[in-house]
Parts: sequence; structure tokens; C-alpha cells
Amino acid sequence: MLDLAFLAFIGYVLVLGLRRPFLWVLLYVYIDILAPQRIGYSAIAALPVSLIAFAAAFGGWIALDRKEGARFTLRQGLLALLLLYCFWTTGHADFPEDAATKWDWVWKALLFAIFLPLTLTTRARIEGLALVLLLSIATIVIGTGMKTILGGGGYSNLKFFVNDNSGIYESSTLATVAIGLIPMLWWFVRHGTVFRPHWLVTGFAVALTFACLLVPIGTEARTGLLCIAALGGLMLRYTKRRFLFIAGAGLLGMAALPFLPQSYYERMSTLAQPSGDESASTRVAVWKWTLDYVTQKPFGGGFDAYRSNKFNYVMPVKETDGNTTTVTYQAVEDKGRAYHSSFFEMLGEQGWPGLIIWLSLHFVGLWQMERIQRRWKKAEDEATRWIAPLAAALQMGAIIYLVGATFQGIGYQPVMLMLVGLQIGLNTYCLRIDSAKGLLARSTSRKEAVADKMHSAVAA
Amino acid sequence: MIDYFALALGHGLLAFALLRLFMREGLDSDPLIAEIEAETQSNRKAASVSGRNAARRARDRSAPTGGGTAPGAEAGEG
Repeated sequence: MLDLAFLAFIGYVLVLGLRRPFLWVLLYVYIDILAPQRIGYSAIAALPVSLIAFAAAFGGWIALDRKEGARFTLRQGLLALLLLYCFWTTGHADFPEDAATKWDWVWKALLFAIFLPLTLTTRARIEGLALVLLLSIATIVIGTGMKTILGGGGYSNLKFFVNDNSGIYESSTLATVAIGLIPMLWWFVRHGTVFRPHWLVTGFAVALTFACLLVPIGTEARTGLLCIAALGGLMLRYTKRRFLFIAGAGLLGMAALPFLPQSYYERMSTLAQPSGDESASTRVAVWKWTLDYVTQKPFGGGFDAYRSNKFNYVMPVKETDGNTTTVTYQAVEDKGRAYHSSFFEMLGEQGWPGLIIWLSLHFVGLWQMERIQRRWKKAEDEATRWIAPLAAALQMGAIIYLVGATFQGIGYQPVMLMLVGLQIGLNTYCLRIDSAKGLLARSTSRKEAVADKMHSAVAA
Repeated sequence: MIDYFALALGHGLLAFALLRLFMREGLDSDPLIAEIEAETQSNRKAASVSGRNAARRARDRSAPTGGGTAPGAEAGEG
């Protein structure tokens, strides 16, 4: 039954796309995020729906799209460079088989991120992509939030639609993405044209924001808490009454404390005492190992190069018996620990060149979004007043991603790469408006000059 | 049950949003950019027609035909 519902939805979008091929691009976005083929059981799991959607998206664009205003930009060049570089490191990887497994999905995510901006040629398409991204993630977040409220939360306990800890269905990744999308959600409340501003839209946004904030609580993902703090800090820039905002946020936080489970407090306390938690304490060791590793291999060791790491360290282990808690120090041997940071993931796997390309990709994006905000912040007409707030929302989302990425290996996360694609699309769209306005101004002045000349000729 | 509810709500909203996009005029061609381009085109056309006429009048003035009045002025162009 569930399979049939998914297939019916996919069929519906495929039919709509016959007249509007751009909808096939959105179909691929939906499938790549939600992964219905992994939620379903039989028919849909057997069909290569992702491949079908990708072929439709790419083929539809090549054969049917107008491609009006499609441009290849600097950041797409950086993505293409990263793709080629990853291909090269995969060929020289320390662990060829593991590297090939990761390469298998990374190249698709990078290629789609290069392709995506070419399709974002209109305001409606930019909004459409943002909306499908948001609603696909909202589908996961709504379920997660409801389960958290009804008591199904807990680290590694919360059940998603897919429970293989991969992609967006990894708790910290979902927490980062959910928090990062909150600014965009509120952009829709004020500037959406598919769902126009309405009390129902506002009500949905309030509920979804609450659900997004519940994701780090339900999953007990520590990174999520840092992302919430980053979001609060970023919002200060756009808040007129900052003192009131800080006081309100503090009060809200205090009011929420009694409702948080004890396990949440225990997990969050490891943020301040990382030595008490294996996952947190090995992070620093892995990062040090990566820095040593790239002194030997500055061009990186290919995907999954972390598998060669090995550590010995002493960790405090608490044991509670009745009222007595004893702490013993045990020697722990750990090997093949993942990077737990996208910065070190890029450094270890792709070396300094890969890290530089990846950082350039994101920092150029932050700068472009800043430039767009400043350029369009005074726009008041309906056709352009949405631009600066969207750039602000995408910039906040990107910063929250980078905060989350500091503590998780999500350097090639498809959703994040789609957000990069959305940023590129918005930047190109703004440049096109500026270019068209420049041509208009020139043609107007030429027309006026000719009219003046004509008037003087008539007067003569 | 929660999963079914979340999936139904998400897919319902997605289906509605995609239908709205399907029916939207400006999905494949941006209205704002099209409007600016149309205005530019009309300016260029006006400038080129007027420019041609002005140049013709200037030529006519530099080679007097005995009239004394610019032909454009007689035709009421302006």
C-alpha cells in the first residue's frame, strides 16, 4: 500500500513534467532526500526510481527546456574541479574498495549540484526548489518531532523512516539540516508565492519550527544544540530589539528545561567534558592524526582514508551501584575512527587541494549571499523584495551547516550541495536582473538622446 | 501511525505545491526579466527608428532642396 502511494506520487510528478520538465528536477530532489525506495518494501525498492528521476531531470533539461539564462559560474567550476579531484584521489586511494563505494554516491551528488543551477532560471523555479527541499525534509522532521513529544526519543533510539544511519537519516545530520532550514521556512511565511502568506502558513511554520527544534532533543545530537546556538546568534543580526530577543530566548530556554529528559542532560554534559565520552574524546585524536597524515600525504588518501588510524588512550568509566559512583580509568584501543568533522574529512581524503576547493566553494557562497543582501535590501517592489531575505536565509543556513560540519563528516552531503546549487541559482538570477537593468538603462538613455536630437532637428 | 501521518501530510503538501508550480505562468520564463527585456527592446526599436529619421533629416538639411523646412517637421514626427 505504501509502495503504491509512493509510485502514484512519482507517476503524478512524471506526468506533470511532460509539460513542465523542471518538475522532474524537483522529483529527483525529493527522491534523493526522502529516499522513498528505502522506505517502501517491495515494488518501489526494486525499481531504480532515483536513476529514472535523474535521467528525466537531465534529459528533460537537455531536450525540452528553454535554457534561457542558464550560465556556468565560478562555483560550479569549483564543484567540477572538486569532482575531478575526487575522481583522481579515488584512483590512488589507500582503501580502493571503500573509496569506490563512497565515490559511487559522491559523484552523483556533486554532478547534480553542478547541474542544478543551470535549471534555476526564474523566481518560480528558485522558490520551487526551496519549497521541495523544505517539504521533503519537513516530512522527516514532522515524524521525528511527533515521536519526540510522544516519548520515543533518545540517542540512537529514535526511529526514522529509514534506520540505516545513512544520508539525512543520520541523527546529527538531520538535526543540522532541520535547524539550518528554519530561516528559509520563515522566508516562505513572508515571501512565498506558491503558498501565499496566510494564517495557515504561519501556523504550519510555527509547528514545523518547533518540530525542527525538537530534532536535536529527540535524537540527543549534540551538534544540533550547537546549531541552535548558532541560529540564535545569527538571528541577532536581523533583530531590531536585540536585548528583548536575548531575554526572550533565555526565558524560553529556561521554560523548556523541565520538559527535557534526564538522558538529554547527560548527553549534553559531554559537550563540556569531552573526555567522558568515547565519541567526543576520539574526535581530537582523529583530527591530530589527520594533520599528521597530510604531512605524509598532502594530496590526501582518497575516500575513507581514516580507516588506517589507530589510537590508544585512557578514558574515565563511571559505574553506579546504589548511591555509590566509582570512576575507573580504562585503557581503550580504537581504530578506524571516522573524521567527525567535514574540514578534516576533506583534508584527510582530498588533501590540501581538496580542502581549499571545498572551503572556497562555501566561503565564496557566504560572500555572494552577503553581497546580494546589501544590493537588494532596499528593494520594495513585489518583484524583487524577496531577494535579500532569501539570501539572508541561505547565508544563515550555510553558516549553520558549517557549524554542524565542524563536528560531522558531511562534506559531500547531497542536501547541503543542493543548498549550494540554490545559492548559485539565486546569485545568477540576481546578476541577470542587474545585467537586464543595465541594458535597459543604456537603451533608455540612447532613446532619450535620439529624442533630444530629433527635437533639436525639428526646432531647426 | 505517526510515520503514515507525516508521510501523508508531506506528500499532500508536495503534490499541491507541484501542481501550483505546474500551473504557474512564470515557471519557465521569468516575468520580471521578460518585462525588462521587452522594455529594452522597445527602447532600442524606438531609438533606431527615430535615429534613422533624425539622420535623414540632418542629411536633408545639409543638402537643401529649396524647401527650408525639415521634412520630419512637416510629417509631424517627434
